[in-house]
Amino acid sequence: MTRSSLLMYIARRLAAMVLLLILLSFVIFSLTYLTPGSPVDVLLGPNMRTPEAVAALTAKYHLNEPFFTQYWYWVKGAAHLDFGDSIQATLPVSDQIASRLPTSLYLGVYAYILAFAFGVIPGVVAAMRRGGALDRVTVAGSIIALSTPAFVSGVYALYLFAVVVPIFPASGPGEGFVDGLWHLTLPAIALALSVVAFLVRHTRAAMIGVLDQDYVTFAWARGLAARRVMLKYALRNALMPVVTISGTLLASLIIGAVIVEQTFSLNGVGSLLIQSVESKDVPMIQGVALVVAAVIIVMNLLADITYLVIDPRIRLGRHEA
Amino acid sequence: MTGVAEVVPQGVDTPIADLRNLRIVAKRSRGGESTIVSSVSLSVRRGESIGIVGESGSGKSMTAKSLIGLLPAGVTATGQLSYKGENLLTANERKWQTIRGLEIGMILQDPFTMLNPVMPCGRILEESLLPEYIHGGRSAREEAIRRLAEVGITDESVIDRYPFQLSGGMRQRVAIAAALCRDPQVLIADEPSTALDVATQREVLELIKQIQRARGMGLILITHDLRVAFETCSRIYVLYAGSLVEVGDSQRMQAEPLHPYTQGLLLSEPPVGRRVHKLVAMPGAVPTADEVQGVCTFEPRCRWAGPACREGAPPLAEVTPDRLSACIRLPEIREEMRSLQTFAEQVAAAPSTDRPSPILEVRNVGKSFQVGSRAVRALDDVSIQVGANESVGIVGESGSGKTTLARVLVGLETPTEGEIVIGDTTTRQWAKVRNEERRELRSNVQTVFQDPYSSLNPMRSVGWTLREAITTHDKNAANPKQRVGELLEMVGLPATYARRLPRALSGGERQRVAIARALAVRPKVLICDEPTSALDMSVQAQILNLLTTLRAEQEISYLFISHDLSIVRHVSEFVYVMYRGRVVESGPTGAVLDNPQHEYTRKLLESLPGGG
Amino acid sequence: MTSIELDLAERQAPARTVRRGLVHGLRRVRGSVTISFLIMAMVAVTAVFGELIAPQDPSAQDLSLVLAQPSGAHWLGTDELGRDVFSRMIVGSQAVFLGPLIVAGGAMLIGNILGLLAGYRGGIIDAFIMRLADLLMAVPGLLIIIVVAGTIGGGYWVAVGLLTLLLMPFDARVVRGATLEQVPRPYVEAARTLGVSNRRIIFLHIWPNISAVVVANTCLAYSGALVGLASLSFLGVGATPGSPDWGQMLSDGQNSLFLNPVASLAPGAAIVLVAAAVNIIGDWGYDRLSSRGASR
Repeated sequence: MTRSSLLMYIARRLAAMVLLLILLSFVIFSLTYLTPGSPVDVLLGPNMRTPEAVAALTAKYHLNEPFFTQYWYWVKGAAHLDFGDSIQATLPVSDQIASRLPTSLYLGVYAYILAFAFGVIPGVVAAMRRGGALDRVTVAGSIIALSTPAFVSGVYALYLFAVVVPIFPASGPGEGFVDGLWHLTLPAIALALSVVAFLVRHTRAAMIGVLDQDYVTFAWARGLAARRVMLKYALRNALMPVVTISGTLLASLIIGAVIVEQTFSLNGVGSLLIQSVESKDVPMIQGVALVVAAVIIVMNLLADITYLVIDPRIRLGRHEA
Repeated sequence: MTGVAEVVPQGVDTPIADLRNLRIVAKRSRGGESTIVSSVSLSVRRGESIGIVGESGSGKSMTAKSLIGLLPAGVTATGQLSYKGENLLTANERKWQTIRGLEIGMILQDPFTMLNPVMPCGRILEESLLPEYIHGGRSAREEAIRRLAEVGITDESVIDRYPFQLSGGMRQRVAIAAALCRDPQVLIADEPSTALDVATQREVLELIKQIQRARGMGLILITHDLRVAFETCSRIYVLYAGSLVEVGDSQRMQAEPLHPYTQGLLLSEPPVGRRVHKLVAMPGAVPTADEVQGVCTFEPRCRWAGPACREGAPPLAEVTPDRLSACIRLPEIREEMRSLQTFAEQVAAAPSTDRPSPILEVRNVGKSFQVGSRAVRALDDVSIQVGANESVGIVGESGSGKTTLARVLVGLETPTEGEIVIGDTTTRQWAKVRNEERRELRSNVQTVFQDPYSSLNPMRSVGWTLREAITTHDKNAANPKQRVGELLEMVGLPATYARRLPRALSGGERQRVAIARALAVRPKVLICDEPTSALDMSVQAQILNLLTTLRAEQEISYLFISHDLSIVRHVSEFVYVMYRGRVVESGPTGAVLDNPQHEYTRKLLESLPGGG
Repeated sequence: MTSIELDLAERQAPARTVRRGLVHGLRRVRGSVTISFLIMAMVAVTAVFGELIAPQDPSAQDLSLVLAQPSGAHWLGTDELGRDVFSRMIVGSQAVFLGPLIVAGGAMLIGNILGLLAGYRGGIIDAFIMRLADLLMAVPGLLIIIVVAGTIGGGYWVAVGLLTLLLMPFDARVVRGATLEQVPRPYVEAARTLGVSNRRIIFLHIWPNISAVVVANTCLAYSGALVGLASLSFLGVGATPGSPDWGQMLSDGQNSLFLNPVASLAPGAAIVLVAAAVNIIGDWGYDRLSSRGASR
């Protein structure tokens, strides 16, 4: 049970991932048919129903073919990032997604960094001061923050820092890196808040668990320096389970981003999704949903593989002896 | 100088560490304090090994932790720990950092949790080595290899392995080497062998003893096992409910204990070399230190307790120049204690070696498990017999297959081959047996599990558990409530215990309930799977005596599974020795243990404290 | 499953480790549990008798008094159509109470049965349920609901149904994990040895012993559903437009933060309070139940 079985595991996970993507794409494709109205109506949207338009659509989406053949054409296109044309803008869906992506990525990465910085450190500190005033405040705060959805924190952040004390802009992504940082700070904080709380809880729990372990006691008993015990023993072991949940965190960040982009009027992928849902722009919905789902699935897989690599017990197999 | 210091024959040097009037209290979560240790004084000299012996709840582990400044949060120690002219009990964390590892070292009980799981063994050693300890141009790695050799690990590849890749014994050796990296003057070993297999236990203890002698360091061994302490240490401190009851030279204490508790501990452990009539069990369980404040701590359980024992806590007084005892009635009762010892050591007549007709038979049973991609053979062509009203022992270490065999017998596992005969039913797969027959099988064989703390449903009362056993066996049981009372009485518990939840019971009481549950279906054979290994020594004797009594009363057969040869000697007439899934030796218990034929049996016998 | 997967499953912190020592710290924040129960009792009352309690008609528009600041007549002011925010919040508590209750209750019921079966029986049932759970856990549930409910429509109740369906595998998984921990325990084996029926073992032996996990998880599902449904309403794919719903009130009021901030801040605070109350009750329940069994 060594490297080869590790590769086997990764291969199986990859296979499962592909299967999941196929399944999801099928559900997403079916939306054309699940939406009330005939596929032609759905794909036509509010545009004029002229015989020419209908014929064009029928040809483009192979609407005369059987359902599965249509799916096959669609999936083949999707694999090349071709999701058809947006009904609203009559532009290729992928172009629109690409134009929205930078803002979303910026926001996501910013929030991710904030979440780890403000989640892990307080979690560790609270665990070390277990039962103390600081610990209690952290725990109470994390329960409140965990119960705060991104749109509530967003509206509160808007009110406090854009209305009462207007030190941050209320909307828009800004231009360039520095201005972007400036514009995206409030959205990133709103987005990161519940993730921070989640991380605080997990880190704190993991750290408390590790600090109670014999190997930490034994490290103290050997007279190792406090810094060494805390970093190489406590933190190293406590952070491993935290890594495993980072994939889950990403999923909740992406969902949160949809909401936060809406709150702060940011032109990201999330608001694109909501706009296309509102206008029933089915090809656009399909494209965004598939891209977002794929990102989440891949990130989850990466988090699991990272975990395998950093834990020698799994990397080397525990039954070797 | 009074007390402890005088105990030691006047040597050249004074104690390295000298502990006086240690008192440890813990803050309760709901306010107030509870006492863990009320009064302990002890000292250790260079090149001397002392043992602190006590059952769970005696405060021995906390005493050990206070000696190295690692008491958990909320627990505080007062008193005086003199080390090189300083009182370490008042030292701050920075001071302790210069003491730990360098002056006083410590190894813990469980080698499986003591080493950082994500660090290779070499790194664990290297990080503990101080630069000045690496002599003669060696690298840290070479020094680490040298240190491993000191603990008997000559395989250099160990240095690059992670702890999980090593066996328990190897891990404990690595831990010892790590604890000794900074060459401490005193080593505290907290139950260093308890978590290991019988055969490894002795190796590790001998290694510690040998290193202690070679280095001339002080050793403080914490253990629950008097015999281990006698083997390893020159002076013994017996701790009971937070205070010392006896202190003295190891050999002399073994010959004649001078406190009823010490004697009770010694007599409640069945001897290895012979079979005795009945164990001298102490009633009840270890109290908390607070329950016995201001009186003799052992008074509630002592057969010689008198009014004087309740007039203040008796001091640890000198009996002979090297012996201290906290029993104030000792002069009056010493003769009686001697005669009790003589009585208890009487050898019982060897049981008849004729085997009664079998009521349970295992014929050529095999069992394979699939672990990952490889098959593990847990049982291999095992055949055993249990006769009517016979007690049969099965001896083996963990991994010998003895527990799998027990599980096969009650249908928790299905054997891969072979058959089992219980009463008139022959079977291999319980799943294929008709319902009535299965009920019949079940009422014939019942099990008492090892861990009394999890063998009772924690959410259900004792009465609920027993009633379920009664009605499952007999849907129309006449008066289940009355029967619950009878069962409790049978195992020596008051009928009022029916209302209690398991957590309100001590370990021994829980095991009694578990026995009552098994007896509820009136089985012919009771499988006892290490029924006392999770219990304290004094409680173990109670349970063993109870089982002996029940056997006579209920005309029941036992299949007694244990890793402990002395227990098997005490309870069984016939024994099977199991090793790696096979029965390697069998015969009348006395004959097998006195004259073992198989190499493995000999090794087991040799590894017992006081055995080899 | 290979041992790698087992290792992973073992190590992916279960609810228990996360909760460890949490309530302990929390309990010292005095009264938090009592306040949480009070909040929930209040929400329950307003959810049932909302129309009777509300001081004004929640849908009565007063276009002469649009976005008024809080006053004696309108405690929390009015919204952009001049409706009384306070009354709308009281009536809106129904959506906050009922939907999540159905989601958490439904997911718990199905999840418990599947999880207990999977954990106790193992084999094909187990493999099937777990693969399904893996699948559903790998996709972001709320995203699916936004897409599906948004495209085919249906509003609040479709969202409730979908949320139940998507949360169920999480519950099943947690319950299965807890069950798997109990099955090898000697008390279960003792019951099997005695010949106690499987149904009895599952429901009378194992289930009470995993009740702590069940309660904690149900509360987690409740607050998750509450926040999720409010988020959907905020995005306009949940409650029907115009109906009093806290999430929707928040998004409506967001545009008028300058005129009457209370119109959106108050429902926001209410969502947080109720969700936090449920989480605190869950932690408290977990603590109570797990210390009762004191399973060592």
